[in-house]
Amino acid sequence: MTSAATRRRVGHAAATVLFLALLTHALPAAAQELAREPAYRAFPLIGSRLAVWAVAQLHLNFAAFILGVPVFAVIIEIIGWWTGDAKYDWLSHEFVKLVFAAFSTTALLGALLLFLFVGFYPRFWAFMTNIFVTTYWIYALLFFAETFSVYLWYYGWNWLSGPRKWLHVSLGVVSNLFGIAILFIANSWLTFMMSPTGITESGALKGSVWGAIHNATWMPINVHRLIANLVFGGTIAGAYAAFRFLNAETDDERARYDWMGYIANFVALSAFIVLPFAGYWLGREIYAFNQTMGITMMGGFMSWLWIIQAILIGVLFFGNNYYLWLGMERIPGSERYRKYIPYMLCILALGFMVWATPHSLIVTLQEARAMGGTHHPLLGVFGVMSAKNTAVNLMILTTFLSYVLYRRANKLSIRPWVLTGMAIQWAAFVVAAAIVVFYGVYGYFVESIVRIGFSVYQVGAVLGAIVLVMTIDVPMFRGARSTGPIRWGQIPPRSQYVLILLAVTFTWLMGLMGFARSGIRQYWHVYGVMRDTSVDAVTPALGYASNMITLVTIVFFAFVMFIFWLGGLSERGEAGAHPPVVAAAGSGSRAPRR
Amino acid sequence: MRVPVGAKLSAFALVIMGSYTYFANSIPQIESKPPAELSLEGGDVSPAQLVKLGEEIFHTKGTCEICHKIGEKGTRAPDLAGVGARAAHRKPGYTAKQYLIESLLEPQAYLVEGYPPIMPKVDKPPIGLNRSELWALVAFLESLGGTIDVKLDDIPKTAGAPAGGGTAAAELTLPGDPKAGQALFTGKAICFTCHTVDKIAAGKIGPDLTQIAKIQTPQYIMGKILNPAAMGTVPGYPKGVMPPTFGQMLTAKEYVDLVAFLLTLK
Repeated sequence: MTSAATRRRVGHAAATVLFLALLTHALPAAAQELAREPAYRAFPLIGSRLAVWAVAQLHLNFAAFILGVPVFAVIIEIIGWWTGDAKYDWLSHEFVKLVFAAFSTTALLGALLLFLFVGFYPRFWAFMTNIFVTTYWIYALLFFAETFSVYLWYYGWNWLSGPRKWLHVSLGVVSNLFGIAILFIANSWLTFMMSPTGITESGALKGSVWGAIHNATWMPINVHRLIANLVFGGTIAGAYAAFRFLNAETDDERARYDWMGYIANFVALSAFIVLPFAGYWLGREIYAFNQTMGITMMGGFMSWLWIIQAILIGVLFFGNNYYLWLGMERIPGSERYRKYIPYMLCILALGFMVWATPHSLIVTLQEARAMGGTHHPLLGVFGVMSAKNTAVNLMILTTFLSYVLYRRANKLSIRPWVLTGMAIQWAAFVVAAAIVVFYGVYGYFVESIVRIGFSVYQVGAVLGAIVLVMTIDVPMFRGARSTGPIRWGQIPPRSQYVLILLAVTFTWLMGLMGFARSGIRQYWHVYGVMRDTSVDAVTPALGYASNMITLVTIVFFAFVMFIFWLGGLSERGEAGAHPPVVAAAGSGSRAPRR
Repeated sequence: MRVPVGAKLSAFALVIMGSYTYFANSIPQIESKPPAELSLEGGDVSPAQLVKLGEEIFHTKGTCEICHKIGEKGTRAPDLAGVGARAAHRKPGYTAKQYLIESLLEPQAYLVEGYPPIMPKVDKPPIGLNRSELWALVAFLESLGGTIDVKLDDIPKTAGAPAGGGTAAAELTLPGDPKAGQALFTGKAICFTCHTVDKIAAGKIGPDLTQIAKIQTPQYIMGKILNPAAMGTVPGYPKGVMPPTFGQMLTAKEYVDLVAFLLTLK
């Protein structure tokens, strides 16, 4: 035997002894620890899944609210600071007050969710912790930072006013940045469960945690949730304003909350219009990550979920437009635009009917034979994506038109180029609609892989039209002659029920989409990596899911009403708590600007 | 009497949610159940039974029919009517079963013209068919116009994902030597006196361990050796018989070797 070989053997032996010495201590202990740890524990009475589902959905609702509202609250504060108009500052403060009241509830629900995971899904939690432990610390630090900055933002409203207002606005911006960072971190966990990357086949982290964070659905979900949070925050704030409007005892109070409801709905509507585009992106990334997952989502056991979604979004479109049309009744000069309402309603109704048409129908055997299949010979044509994309894009354009008409209802442009400007605006609408319809029809004659790309052109045409029309509209109506001030507070009470409808519908929709996002993993905790072997591994049917969503939504609104009531307690007994920042009709005060 | 605004709004909200819930309950109710694991290894199964099992896998766990139709041209994947006969002529030098097995395990190796390369490897997660399931599925596909001649041995030994079971924490790589472990099983560790392992041991006091690695996790096996009482007793067997002293009796290397051997019993 050579000395080199001897040295190698000694080296191997030493390494083996060292390894075994470590193993003697570590492996049996680790094995015993792992062996004792159950994969699941059962939550009493309702089971672990329902407990996690309910708390996760509630937590997400509150989190969406407290992350969404500050985004537009700070924008409104900046507008108030920029224009020197006190009513914006009051409104921003009012919004932040709502957030402030909901802050601790969100944190408590988050803690409860954590306890549920640790206690009832210990193996799953250990797996996620092995990968994401670094992010836990960052998340906690950011949460501290956001909490303190929002507290300072709220409590420092008067202290940081006047020349120090810039500091206050900066606090609002910073707290939003912290909030968005928190959202992105939490999204990395749940998107990893959908589209895991950066790990070996056995589930161990390959490189840095960034590999797991930056998975296929992370950024689309980030963008989708950020926009959805704005819509959600807007609708809940709108519902609060509606509640206050309907309870108002004076014209001033009614005017104030009418205006607040309008602004909140405006925020929700603006974000809502672009939300479907973020949804397309997310859907495309899901398909790119895993075709099976994408097809299961759209064509598998979840396919009927999209019909429910279509109905909910249809309700949101109708509600938003109806609110704008009702709002025009309090604007002198809007009469000239009311003639367009029946046509817009017609487009919305047709679009809704197309969008809610299922691809295949539930029919009896005799009916199926008579039709020659489960696809209706005529209606079946409307059940495919080409038709649905066309319908929703036309509905978005119509809603945008409603807003444009509302915006200019009491304005007469004094620009010499007004006719040219309006002609270009109308042309933009017509061209965008033509592009949408063209690609919608063309989509029937190409393969699906080509057809998917057409939605990008349709979306591009609609977004392009929106940008072009607004780019012309803003300067065209700057300094416009008014046909009379808006009579805030004189909107029909049913309009406030529309705001409630929008809030309830969007909250329910969020629950449904949460079920879709989680349900497409089916019997996997982490798709394709960690299987769900619990008794709850069955993904329930839509009826069961909807019962659950409704229950959680009821609990959420009960919480919200309680928290808002608590928030309102501080106002009681404060004489003149609200200066008449928005003029009620006939009050003689300065007309508020829109 | 004036109804409070809060009550009116609550009633209104309940009606809205009730409508959505009613609609969601009135459409087709489809659950997604986790697929059961099929094991035919060592089993006596007729071609007809095999085809039936394969057809079930085609419609359920295999998720094949999401893209493939039989007797209908699909937009995502080819029509499988007659594939049993057609498969023999797809690739030169390939028999029908060879082509079908390759199509399932390495779907991008040959693409039918006009279809995108979207088919996943069906033995890998999330579909994760095991060898028995692949065998049955190939038999079913052969039955579509061809001759059923596939045997379990035709399916590569490397094919098939391990049975899921919260595997993330279970994926431990042991450096032990299974041969040394087998010697321990039938020697120093005296396992053979109580347990059966096909062709190795025939003890009847404890459970049959012939497929223990297939039905239990590594964590369970490791824990059971070191602390048998804490892991519970398999129903039908006497409690407290398995000695709790293996942790002291075996060296660390012997322990690892024994576990490595037991993990080969699939």
